[in-house]
Amino acid sequence: MNTKTSAKGVGTDSETTMGNPYHNKTAQWIAYALFFLALAAIPFSVDDDFLLNQLATYGVYGMLALSISLCWGFGGILNLGQGIAFGLGAYGMAMTMQMQTQTAENPIPPIMLNNGLDYLPFLWWPFQNTVSGLIFAVGIPTLFCAVFGRIMFKARVSGAFFAIMTLAMLSAFYTIILDQQAYTGGVNGITPPSPLQLGSFQIDPYSPAAYWTVFFALLIATVIAKLITQSSFGLVTQAIRDDAERVRFLGYSVSSYETTIYTISGLIAAVAGCLWVMVVQYVSPAQLDVGLSISMVIWAAIGGRMSLLWAIIGAFLIQGGQSYLGDAFLSTWLLILGGFFIVVVRFLPNGLASLVEAGLGMLASKPKETSFREPSGVKPVPSE
Amino acid sequence: MDFGSVLNALILGVSIASIWLIAALGLTIIYGAAGVINMAHGALIMLGAYSSYMLQHYVGVPYLLCIPASFVIVAIIGLILERGLIQYLYDRPLDTLLATYGVSLVLVQGVRLIFGSDPKYLAVPEIFSSNISLGFANISTFRVVVIAVTALLVLALWILFYKTRFGIQVRAVMQNKEMAASFGINSSRIYMMTFALGAGLAGVAGSLFGVLNIVLPTMGDSYVVQAFLMVVAGGGTLAGTVIASGFTGELQSVFAFITNDTFARFVIFLLIVVFLRFRPQGLFAKGGVRR
Repeated sequence: MNTKTSAKGVGTDSETTMGNPYHNKTAQWIAYALFFLALAAIPFSVDDDFLLNQLATYGVYGMLALSISLCWGFGGILNLGQGIAFGLGAYGMAMTMQMQTQTAENPIPPIMLNNGLDYLPFLWWPFQNTVSGLIFAVGIPTLFCAVFGRIMFKARVSGAFFAIMTLAMLSAFYTIILDQQAYTGGVNGITPPSPLQLGSFQIDPYSPAAYWTVFFALLIATVIAKLITQSSFGLVTQAIRDDAERVRFLGYSVSSYETTIYTISGLIAAVAGCLWVMVVQYVSPAQLDVGLSISMVIWAAIGGRMSLLWAIIGAFLIQGGQSYLGDAFLSTWLLILGGFFIVVVRFLPNGLASLVEAGLGMLASKPKETSFREPSGVKPVPSE
Repeated sequence: MDFGSVLNALILGVSIASIWLIAALGLTIIYGAAGVINMAHGALIMLGAYSSYMLQHYVGVPYLLCIPASFVIVAIIGLILERGLIQYLYDRPLDTLLATYGVSLVLVQGVRLIFGSDPKYLAVPEIFSSNISLGFANISTFRVVVIAVTALLVLALWILFYKTRFGIQVRAVMQNKEMAASFGINSSRIYMMTFALGAGLAGVAGSLFGVLNIVLPTMGDSYVVQAFLMVVAGGGTLAGTVIASGFTGELQSVFAFITNDTFARFVIFLLIVVFLRFRPQGLFAKGGVRR
């Protein structure tokens, strides 16, 4: 109960002091609504199936950036191994889709037959049924995050140390998936021959249906994440980010909060993994590549890790830039991205969002500057 | 599984350990002294290999001289990097991690633009490309060279850190930056020197790895994670890294002997994570107030 009131206090405090609409909750929800309305308008104005499919993959990247923002921006947990949850989710989905195309007279997927395995390995059993396959595809990575997070956070591994541990786990998974060719398809991965079948409904990757699925997943994930950050749980998490030791002394179980936020973030990434395979019909160890996982962090960092919405926009901007500018600049794209990233980290630690924040702040304070000078006894505590 | 092949695996383990160790030496110095997670370490290794290649290919410097030359070149690059970027980020450890990753993107892509993505090769003197046979065990001469260089570097670093004035200053800054500063040690300069030193060590590693493997823009990437694990498992001290590398090298060799190379890596990574669960401070935790 006590947590509730204190949380409320902090929330209203920053609300009454606004002036900067960037910090106004209502304004934030309006911005989110406008953003999703714009995304919802796209299928009505775009007639190109290929483009729609590409935009759907951006939606998946947006979900990944969202999960990083939740975990790193709000929880203070830098996770360089988000590819584990994403990749395991993707493999689960690919296995489910592969098993959907296997028939009674042909029950063994070709990757096994090609590798001299004439039975279905036990690892694949849950994926024979679509429902249980989907449950496992999302459940296994989530469970992994819960267990791994619990082990690490209980030992008070945090900060850069945790980042390196996640990197190590990611490399371990990458290696084992690459190695176990008969189970995972090795370097070639799994390419399910036909789209995802849900009941009698088929989600063709090159159709608006796939786009809408990703859209609603992103929408739901964003709303849930936003609600989490505004809840008292979210406030404690943010307090841990700012000073874990102090929160621990206040009697909170820091490791439980950290594990929970890390697991939720992993769950979102696992769902993103499933959607990714639904959209591209393909999975390979590249989804667990170190580079991809760090890219997710780059998206969130450039957009603004402290803002869920801007993290998503960061993913859109960079992946969009990669697709469109990448063709124009060809080999210099990574050079530009790397340089841009360095500049953002050095000068804009909160990403492009902080530019918007500053801009809105200036707009809001300008006309009132003279009258607002004195009565600001309600100034929020300066954030570090 | 006779005695000879087990012994062979153990000797190969020493060789693997020396590779893990030399890749991690520079990182240990940088992480241990300044607390910087240098994700550009792999790119610096790669630059070491390319500087050796350039010196050998365009200037005709003999290979053995390329090794110290790579040290100097990459150390200078490290110096520029530290002055231009890292020095502003010391109080933001997570951001150094990200910024140095950006640096590595730029360096790898820059090298790819200049030299292309096709592999380059480093030529070594004739005697290095033979094998040494000890009756029961076989090992290539160059691997012995790697072991020797690694041992020499560890010795030199030990002398530098524990027998010189500079070493005392570095250790003082490691333990307590403010206190060291109040005794007149210029900590900013110490950080700069250690970063350059660590980068130079990556350069040496690169000039050796360029012979063991081919020279590619992405050749350093695979070393970063494993080098970090050595540093972290060792607790950020020189002795810790040496012992952690020794253990993991032997373990990897033995596991690879029983199963295969890839699976051995998987097991090693997993074991290190489990180990750090029970000893998050690593083998030898350093004294001091950082962290």
